[in-house]
Amino acid sequence: MAEATRALPLGTGHRTRHARVAPLFLAPALIVLALLLAYPVLYSIWLSLTDASLSAGQLDTPFSGLDNYRQLIGDKSVSAALLNTLYFTVVEVIGVVVLGLLTALLLNHPMASWSGFRVFLLLPWAIAPVANAVLWKWIYHSNYGILNSLLLQLGLIDQNVTWLGDPFRALNMVLLVDIWKSTPFIAILFLAALQNIPKTLYRAARVDGASTFEAFRFITLPSLNTAIAIAVILQTIWSLRVFDLIFVLTKGGPADGTVVMNFLAYRVTFNFLKFGYGAALANVIFLASLLLSIIYVRLMNPGAPRGR
Amino acid sequence: MAASQSILGRAGIVLALVVFVFAATGPIVWLLLSSVLQQQALTSIPPDLSPSSFTLANYLEVFSSAAQLGRAIINSLIVATFTTALAIILGAPAAYALARLEIKHAGTILLMVLAAQMFPAIVIAIPLFITASKLGLIDTKLLLILVYLSFNLPIVIWVLRGFFMGLPLGLERAARVDGASPLQTFLRIVLPISLPSLFAAAIFAFIEAWNEFFFALIMTRQTAQTVPLAISAFAGQYQTMFGQMMAAAAISVAPIILLTILLRNTILRGFADGMLKG
Amino acid sequence: MPSIELIDINKLYGAVHVCKGINLTIADREFVTLLGSSGCGKTTTLNMIAGLDDPTSGDILMDGRRVNDLEPVGRDVAMVFQNYALYPHMTVAGNMGFNLRLRNFSPAEIHERVGAAASALDLSHVLDRYPNQLSGGQQQRVAIGRAIVRHPKVFLFDEPFSNLDAALRNRMRAEVKELHLRLGVTSIFVTHDQEEALSISDRVAIMRDGSVEQFGTPEDVYANPETVEVARFIGTPQVEILECVIDRSNESNTILRCGSASLPITARQAVALGARTEKILVTIRPEYVTIGGQGTSAIIRDVQPIGPSTLVNLGWKGGAIMARLNGIVRLTVGKTAHFSIDPIQLMFFDKESGRRIKTKS
Repeated sequence: MAEATRALPLGTGHRTRHARVAPLFLAPALIVLALLLAYPVLYSIWLSLTDASLSAGQLDTPFSGLDNYRQLIGDKSVSAALLNTLYFTVVEVIGVVVLGLLTALLLNHPMASWSGFRVFLLLPWAIAPVANAVLWKWIYHSNYGILNSLLLQLGLIDQNVTWLGDPFRALNMVLLVDIWKSTPFIAILFLAALQNIPKTLYRAARVDGASTFEAFRFITLPSLNTAIAIAVILQTIWSLRVFDLIFVLTKGGPADGTVVMNFLAYRVTFNFLKFGYGAALANVIFLASLLLSIIYVRLMNPGAPRGR
Repeated sequence: MAASQSILGRAGIVLALVVFVFAATGPIVWLLLSSVLQQQALTSIPPDLSPSSFTLANYLEVFSSAAQLGRAIINSLIVATFTTALAIILGAPAAYALARLEIKHAGTILLMVLAAQMFPAIVIAIPLFITASKLGLIDTKLLLILVYLSFNLPIVIWVLRGFFMGLPLGLERAARVDGASPLQTFLRIVLPISLPSLFAAAIFAFIEAWNEFFFALIMTRQTAQTVPLAISAFAGQYQTMFGQMMAAAAISVAPIILLTILLRNTILRGFADGMLKG
Repeated sequence: MPSIELIDINKLYGAVHVCKGINLTIADREFVTLLGSSGCGKTTTLNMIAGLDDPTSGDILMDGRRVNDLEPVGRDVAMVFQNYALYPHMTVAGNMGFNLRLRNFSPAEIHERVGAAASALDLSHVLDRYPNQLSGGQQQRVAIGRAIVRHPKVFLFDEPFSNLDAALRNRMRAEVKELHLRLGVTSIFVTHDQEEALSISDRVAIMRDGSVEQFGTPEDVYANPETVEVARFIGTPQVEILECVIDRSNESNTILRCGSASLPITARQAVALGARTEKILVTIRPEYVTIGGQGTSAIIRDVQPIGPSTLVNLGWKGGAIMARLNGIVRLTVGKTAHFSIDPIQLMFFDKESGRRIKTKS
């Protein structure tokens, strides 16, 4: 070290290292999130290891170990709900991604550049799921609903269909509603991705003699790879969250045909008041969502190291 | 290629656009239409759309019969506004820290924030319900304001972080050379130029809070009932009064639709900030 | 008392060694330029002097005190950024006064200082405008004004003129030089434009690959480059480098063999070059190459009349040579010309290390 180095006395020339300040920016939000998220998750894990029940305002939590989870595995209503959830999720994801892509391609066309179209896209996204459910309950009404009226007028059916009367049909009608509601967001996602593709690529392809379909297959689709993957993961995560719709439209019926895992957890906890079992169910759903979220983050940041 | 593009292609696009508009807006239009049609008009097959069938009676009925709806609107307004404000106040500095300041384990924290947006409410609802019961907070607006932060805060952080990361570094450097501390830089330089994005984040948070059903279902009874609950109760009670059901739904939906149309550009930009920046 | 000292500064980003053992001593009131192409470490060095970045090892001293731990404002440095970095939501006056407001200067004092700087930079009439209402040149002047207003100990410039067109750039250079003469504040300027560096600096530090190749006055680095890279980098047009071998077969007349031709050298140079048998690098500044009359024959490869002079690229059996002729000279590409050189002006470099072989005392 050179002789001329005289360390500066402390206090002169404020050295506010970012590292010292940053936690203060972050702390309030993190504390709130810890209280609202981390703590309940841990609590939920503990709850699932008990046979908790609420009676006369008192919560009894006798420890029961892994009993709830064992029960879960053998429970027929759980396997039925799982099946419904699987069907619902797979069909919804495929439906939303395909429809979303088609919609985005349509709106990306120069003829569709009017901004009003994008507003129309936002409308289904914006309305409350409950209001939406009420609306479609009316649309699906067997006697006076507009769906039956229209189909009768068009001659596609010769008598009213009870759309929500048959378990499997009801599940599909619920699917239809949620696909209608969820497609816009995914369409906007694809639209943004499409608009990121440089126009010059298409011009070069035209000069090379590619047809519209070939341009789609060799330029558009490959560029959308990441967006499609993200859409699939996001929509899967959201499909697991469907609740309002089922509650208002079918309350899980008919014959539990529209009971998915999420709804089952609710019913078990707040209708049957079996808090421990409900918590176990909730934890299973949580695990699935968590894994999906991790995949999502990996997709968005391919090379991101953990932490910094 | 240009020739075949023109007629057949263009007709196809127009047709597709028509189908799109019908599919996207049809149900909502029907919602609004039904709310202003008389009961007989709605129950005739096909529905009677002659001018004489139109009426505002449904709306009047809804407001007078269910005092709940008026109070529910006020409740929703209060809850949504305050939870949004809190989310912004807590979330903006956090988003800035994650975007710009050096934080250890930033990646893990981000993952947690993201995961928080993702999992179904049931997961945290049970413990929160139990805790809230013990604290005597059930059926209070305060409870909803706090609980809603569980999804509002992550949304705000996610959108704002994307925006902050897109800001040119030069400004913050210049502020640092000018002698501004990180806090001063944030308050006096970064925030003033972030207003559009703050606005977008606030809109998202507000809409999510206004539309929220599940937490409201379990955590409120009569006093703190919000609009989605009122709608659901109404639909359960007046199952056959179709026009009134639609009127009730329309009342819930109208302010949000208005917000969306008026602020469409801000919303779309907010999407971009939250979505593409990973 | 030297104003700024960099002692053994090293900077690593992960495994990338951006700055390798930089030593610089900058005197009080000096105008020093860090010159080099992109990636050489000049901006990183500037950021470390500013306090925006920390060196991985080494010390930075200002006026004899170690400032490694001080923020920029604690070092009393002001900086002019390449992209101006003006606060878009503040007026010109607001931008220029921001630092003073942070330091709680009285409104009267702020008004006075901002006013003075504005009139010095011809900005008085735009004080109430916002940055997006100004031209590029005006914005850059506001950035300079923001720095002046603080009366700092050191000015730092990070390629401030790269975004301006040529005419504006020349004018801004003159203004900065004039400002420096008037204010006499130590200044460090970063650029990749060697003409810019030579025209405004007291001394130039030529950086390459993370180290300082040479640190000297403009005349020094031009006439006495210490490495062949410096010789190549400085000077317009770029010199051509020849590869030659010393031929001592004739004892009374040592010459250089370049390719299949030869160049004469003086006796003193022959002695200075010593007993080398390997190839050495040889070059000469274009203005010391004359065309016409007797002399070695060569083919004219390229002629560029650039106004006050004409640059001629000659292809010769020994390699390529640049000549700079006064005025506009009409020469035809492809024709033969004769050139001669003054051997005293030859510069020799070791081929392995690139270092200059000194042949003048």
